[in-house]
Amino acid sequence: MKKIIVLLLASILILSACGTKTDNGNAGAGEGAAETSKITIWAWDPNFNIKAMNLAKDAYAAKNPDLTVEIIENAQNDIVQKLNTGLSSGTTKGLPNIVLIEDYRAQSFLQAYPDAFYPLTDVIKASEFADYKIGPTSVDGKNYGLPFDSGVTGLYVRTDYLEQAGYSIEDMQDITWDQYIEIGKAVKEKTGKDWISLDPNDMGILRVMAQSAGSWYLKPDGKSADLEGNVALKEAFETYKKMMDANIVRIHADWSQYVANYNSGDVASVPTGNWFTPSITAAADQSGKWAVAPLPKLTNNEKSVHASNLGGSSWYVLNVPGKEKAAEFLGATFGSDVDLYQKLVTEVGAIGTYKPAAAGEAYKAANEFFGGQKIVEDFAKWTAEIPNVNYGMHTYAIEDIIVVEMQNFLNGKSIDQVLADAQKQADAQIK
Amino acid sequence: MNMKARTNAISWSFIAIAVIMICAFYFYPMIQALIMSFQSGTGTNLSFVGIDNYTRLFTDTTFKTTLSNTFLYLVIQVPLMIVLALFISVLLNDKNLKLKGFFRTAIFLPAVTSLVAYSVIFKYLFGTDGLINTMLMKLSLIAAPIQWITDPFWAKITIIIAITWRWTGYNMIFYLSALQNIDDSIYEAARIDGANSFTQFFKITVPLLKPIILFTSITSTIGTLQLFDEVMNITKGGPGNSTMTLSQYIYNLSFKYTPDFGYAATVSYAIVILIVIFSILQFKLAGDKNG
Repeated sequence: MKKIIVLLLASILILSACGTKTDNGNAGAGEGAAETSKITIWAWDPNFNIKAMNLAKDAYAAKNPDLTVEIIENAQNDIVQKLNTGLSSGTTKGLPNIVLIEDYRAQSFLQAYPDAFYPLTDVIKASEFADYKIGPTSVDGKNYGLPFDSGVTGLYVRTDYLEQAGYSIEDMQDITWDQYIEIGKAVKEKTGKDWISLDPNDMGILRVMAQSAGSWYLKPDGKSADLEGNVALKEAFETYKKMMDANIVRIHADWSQYVANYNSGDVASVPTGNWFTPSITAAADQSGKWAVAPLPKLTNNEKSVHASNLGGSSWYVLNVPGKEKAAEFLGATFGSDVDLYQKLVTEVGAIGTYKPAAAGEAYKAANEFFGGQKIVEDFAKWTAEIPNVNYGMHTYAIEDIIVVEMQNFLNGKSIDQVLADAQKQADAQIK
Repeated sequence: MNMKARTNAISWSFIAIAVIMICAFYFYPMIQALIMSFQSGTGTNLSFVGIDNYTRLFTDTTFKTTLSNTFLYLVIQVPLMIVLALFISVLLNDKNLKLKGFFRTAIFLPAVTSLVAYSVIFKYLFGTDGLINTMLMKLSLIAAPIQWITDPFWAKITIIIAITWRWTGYNMIFYLSALQNIDDSIYEAARIDGANSFTQFFKITVPLLKPIILFTSITSTIGTLQLFDEVMNITKGGPGNSTMTLSQYIYNLSFKYTPDFGYAATVSYAIVILIVIFSILQFKLAGDKNG
């Protein structure tokens, strides 16, 4: 009996000794990774922001071969989740040096985790970036984010369908949303094709309309909801309903259906951010059939302009060891390298928000897919016109309320009641 | 140390590992979450607010909607699944059935699939241009495609179909093993007394399976109250929040919106309270007479 126990204990000891040994090995490797000659970066789209970061990495490596840059792909939701759990637990181990955050969410992180991010005020010149990007990326006058891609919107439209309905791309210049819907009805009647594809769970189109009039879900303080009595949002709601009632909308439930609706030629126009270009050009057989018009503006709102924003994100440096190196890396690449921005346009199709870059060659190139239109130049021009709004901390919380109230509105509830109810819910939720 | 004390010490040291683990990874977080449920604020800026979070629950329309959605799943899906599982298990327990093993495996198989993987497949099956719609249209059963994912009513149906498909086989296994423990002589005696299979089912099978039925309905209730993966992957809680569950609301509060971990903890404690109430209710309704 005794012998067996001794034997058991001995084997446990040996096993645990082995275990400890491997643990030590792992810890050693971990410490090696924490050395400051290496920085890690998180981003989410291998065809877009990761590709862009790889270009920056190559450009930087040509001058500073000492720094190892590791770019890790994580889905955007995973990045948000990991940042939230990491930062709230107080342990920054496992977090990257540089992370990409969507502009709509930026304030939520910057204000919920003060001191978690490293200010870039000394590294970049804020005035050299598009004005509308500075609000979301800074707190109390300090710049925490390096503005990355422009989410500037345009109206992508099938010119061949337009012609069949008796219109041309000239008729799409500087129109209002009401005119847009009228043309859509004509196109549907003549070609049988739907005019726009919408996801009832994604109110992006409302945000685009609201921002075009310098308005948002939140008041300029970024903290309290601005729904009841918001004239821009009210008209956006009504416009959305007009589209639905006109029977020109095709419904999609996710991104792949969305893109498929356009690539299959079933839907004729899409007002969205310029990052949609690669999805449009993916259907090579539609080359020459597309054009980009300026965004329609709200019909009855004087402040509304033909430019707005959808999505877009910026780079942030976390307040962890290696932050100086990381900030220096960003400053030398996206913060000042005009050539890099030209490559971004030609190789990735990404339009940055660094103003000096717009003078470069790549911005003036004609795009054959869009019938020779200089789309990058157009987008860059519209970027400068985007009204600056404060996205605040609660865009997605309010969006979820809006989605529900939109359904109520479509089912016949009065618009003032809808916005009043939404305001009440938002006030209760975001205190 | 005498022999007895030594054996005791050794036994305790074995138990201690599990106890320490459970305390560290179950009870400590549970207590922390309870403390957190009395705090509110964004991210790390938490401060104590007393029972504010709990009173907020009663005015929170999103919470109410998610609660009623969860109840709807509970009231429709759990009984449906229990009855279906019971029915299938009785069929499969038939002595004269051929290929028994094959059928049992086939019906149990959904339970081993990954929650996310099957949810994604269901999303595509039930898409507007998905297989289900195409099939129904080709058979001329419907004229226009059903909006399985984007219509508030049909989206709920889709979720119910999905979880029923996934979990019926799992519950069936419990019934099958219990059925095997029922002595054949009871049925034989009943047949001799002239009971038809209907009477046999209700007078013998169901009463004898009562503890198992109670067990499966409690686990299913708990499972439904914690429902997350399917809704997250098939409809994302939409359209609007017409399919959103309590668990998904907790996720949104913590990770989708500006994080308010305090209030999220409060909602999760609301689930705990509900589970306790339901379990007590089910014990009282079904278990008491058996002792």
